[in-house]
Amino acid sequence: MNAPAITSAPPQSRHTADETSPIRIAVKNLNFYYGSFHGLKSINLNFHDRQVTALIGPSGCGKSTLLRTFNRIYSLYPEQRAEGEILLDGQNVLDPKIDLNELRSRVGMVFQKPTPFPMSIYDNVAFGLRLYEKLPKADLDVRVEESLRKSALWDEVKDKLKQSGMGLSGGQQQRLCIARTVAQRPEVILFDEPTSALDPISTGKIEELIEQLRSEFTIVIVTHNMQQAARISQFTAFMYLGEVVEFGPTNRIFMNPEKRQTQDYITGRFG
Amino acid sequence: MDAVNTLRASAPPLKASRVRSGRRVADRVLVVASTLATLLGILVLGSILLMLIIEGVKGFSPLLFTEPTPGPGSEGGGIANAILGSLVLTTLGILVATPVGVMAGTYLAEYGRHSKVADLIRFLNDILLSAPSILIGLFVYTLMVKPMGSYSGWAGAVALAIIATPVIVRTTEDMLRLVPATLREAGAALGAPPSKVITSITWRGASAGIVTGIILALARIAGETAPLLFTALNNNSWFSANLMGGIPNLPVMIYQFALSPYPNWQQLAWAGALLITVTILALSIVARFVIKSERAR
Repeated sequence: MNAPAITSAPPQSRHTADETSPIRIAVKNLNFYYGSFHGLKSINLNFHDRQVTALIGPSGCGKSTLLRTFNRIYSLYPEQRAEGEILLDGQNVLDPKIDLNELRSRVGMVFQKPTPFPMSIYDNVAFGLRLYEKLPKADLDVRVEESLRKSALWDEVKDKLKQSGMGLSGGQQQRLCIARTVAQRPEVILFDEPTSALDPISTGKIEELIEQLRSEFTIVIVTHNMQQAARISQFTAFMYLGEVVEFGPTNRIFMNPEKRQTQDYITGRFG
Repeated sequence: MDAVNTLRASAPPLKASRVRSGRRVADRVLVVASTLATLLGILVLGSILLMLIIEGVKGFSPLLFTEPTPGPGSEGGGIANAILGSLVLTTLGILVATPVGVMAGTYLAEYGRHSKVADLIRFLNDILLSAPSILIGLFVYTLMVKPMGSYSGWAGAVALAIIATPVIVRTTEDMLRLVPATLREAGAALGAPPSKVITSITWRGASAGIVTGIILALARIAGETAPLLFTALNNNSWFSANLMGGIPNLPVMIYQFALSPYPNWQQLAWAGALLITVTILALSIVARFVIKSERAR
């Protein structure tokens, strides 16, 4: 079923995993703890360059936890800690010596609820750019426009860049957050259930956007929605109770899962 | 349909209605009791306000704002020196309290979230918040007035700052805590260091609330009397910029003039009291307006 698809479809096809793509993030023997609770257990997983990898599984399985280790955002909370290795282009993200701010400009993140900052649309997008790059105004304008275009928001906001980002609709706010992330030109973008607070039309737009962003960025997305994972990802990891049960090309995971648990979850028998 | 009617007819109606009427009575009693309590409260407040307005308006004239307080027994005069003195004292007080209060509140809400020291500071701040203001007056008296040998405007400003600070600390912390954690995470996820997240994201998100806290603190110290009795006290001279000496101010003026035997002084005290009340009312309205305009945004 899969084999002919791979040969006949072009490698960039939406539903075909490119297993030859280089590995951008390699997770090796990762363990994660919330205080004394063992949240992730010996995770080993590879994320391919310019592919969308979906993390699926029931609530509390650790998929968001895993996502939050890649930019070490968990380290805002002192009781949370990670052990093991997460290699981003060969460099261990968990190394205490790593510059967190530089890491986070390379690994962007979009959250479940839209998080526009209390400032204008323009300033929202420029926020990350102003942190470390001292760009002249004209260059900044170009980067802001470019990011808003890439996030399919430019046409809707080009006449009101000075207005507050909080005044946009939920779906627009989420695309604004994506623009803000894209503006920094990261290598990886992490999406933590980016559409679960949005209506179906906004969800459709975000999914389309993710598909477009794939040509430039490595994308990891946590989703509760299995149809969404099937629609937009090339690779899928099914997680359960802090472990990766099964990982592989999305087509195979959904059509022909190897593990019984994966099959049960995908067919809606639990979770 | 008939079956339903039969069922209804066969239900024991007497008992059910008795239970219901019991509840109805209890409900009525509660409504009447709470209405009466509200009316009583409004009646007391209303009569105070009414008396204040009637007596205060009698003494209201442009002279209030141009003439200094008159000597004992003499006619005319105003309270211009006391108004000016109060303005200076409260302004100085709030100028000191605002940076200290906002920074301390920021520490409690942002940096000190997980620390024991912050818990201790929060606890002490809450005590300070409800400390009788006369204690603050005595404290500053011992700290400044006694060693310096005289009542002074500086001492008054310090006392007012000490009263305003815990109010600002508390509101700043509360307002910053209302800013969702995801907003901080979003800032950090872009590579912004904590100081940048605080100054350009969480402060902005909480700005209306913080400003409201400062205005309410201003309203609080505008009417404080006890701490000024021990510190700035008063002097009946025309206002001088000399903060090293006693400074005329509205609350102490009201206190002294109201207790005096001179009808003219008593009249000025009423007018001063009305002026303070109107000012505090105006500040509270401004505070509400700030909150509303933020919600509308």
